[in-house]
Amino acid sequence: MVGAVLASLVLLAVTVWLTRRATLVPGRVQALVEFPIEWLAGIVRGTGGKRWAEFAGLVIAIFLFVLVANLIGLLPGVGVVGIVHEGEHGEELLVPVVRAAGADLNFTLGLAIVAFVAFIGWGIRANGIGGYLKELLSAEPAYMTPLLTPIHIISELSRLISLSMRLFGNIFAGEVLLSVMLVLAGLFIPVAFLGFELLVAFVQALVFALLTMTYIVLAIAEHRLHDRGDAHAGYQPEDPEASPAPGSA
Amino acid sequence: MEFQLLAAGLAIGLGTIGPGIGIGIGFSRAMEAIGRNPDASGTLFVPYILGLALTEAMAIYALVIGLILIFAVG
Repeated sequence: MVGAVLASLVLLAVTVWLTRRATLVPGRVQALVEFPIEWLAGIVRGTGGKRWAEFAGLVIAIFLFVLVANLIGLLPGVGVVGIVHEGEHGEELLVPVVRAAGADLNFTLGLAIVAFVAFIGWGIRANGIGGYLKELLSAEPAYMTPLLTPIHIISELSRLISLSMRLFGNIFAGEVLLSVMLVLAGLFIPVAFLGFELLVAFVQALVFALLTMTYIVLAIAEHRLHDRGDAHAGYQPEDPEASPAPGSA
Repeated sequence: MEFQLLAAGLAIGLGTIGPGIGIGIGFSRAMEAIGRNPDASGTLFVPYILGLALTEAMAIYALVIGLILIFAVG
């Protein structure tokens, strides 16, 4: 939890500091912070359909939050410095002061619930509550309904589980991998795995954000897509009518 | 109790075979596509990452089963 609070504090501090001194022509630090935001906004614009601007903020916020939380988890001292407790059977247990936030299921499940509420909320807003329930509860040939309704509901819920467990599993496995390598190989080989964990931290943040975006896009497009009988509306080519990027405003 | 740990190990070990093959196939096809058309690497990136994440989800389910076997059962 401390890791997550630290991550949000870092983001908040950078935001406040940069908005005070933001200039039209970005300096080095400003360009460094603006680059991932503009890059991700470009991706959301390319794949998010017409209403991309509504949820781009949420997607970018999730990406930055998870990325900073993951990177904080890789700092030296995190997860190692802590208070030693007596365990149930008299063994010594270390309770670290700061842990990698993603190695705690509460953090990832909380984020996944945010994403879950977001994509159901956007689905209801786009199709109306009746349209959303109809999409969830009914199937195309009517006689398939009793079979497909539970599958629909389970697939919605499994998104929640897979989103949270993916981030948790990757970050937790990364921690275990690093400590195992430290015990096995000693000095220099763990550095390679630390580099690998940097890549994992980035990719998992990106995956979480992109999956949230894809689910939102699917929830919005569900109705439209059904009418056209097109099952793959998630990846539309860049829309010529799409509004301009936030960077160009 | 010991069989629980064995079951957890088997669950994650066998459960990662499929996703491993799947990610390998996906990656090889992505490399092939980039080799044929290097300009497409930008457009391939997002669908590739998403496909990787969805394939990986199967391994994550195996991990969940393993964790349940260790911590939640008995």
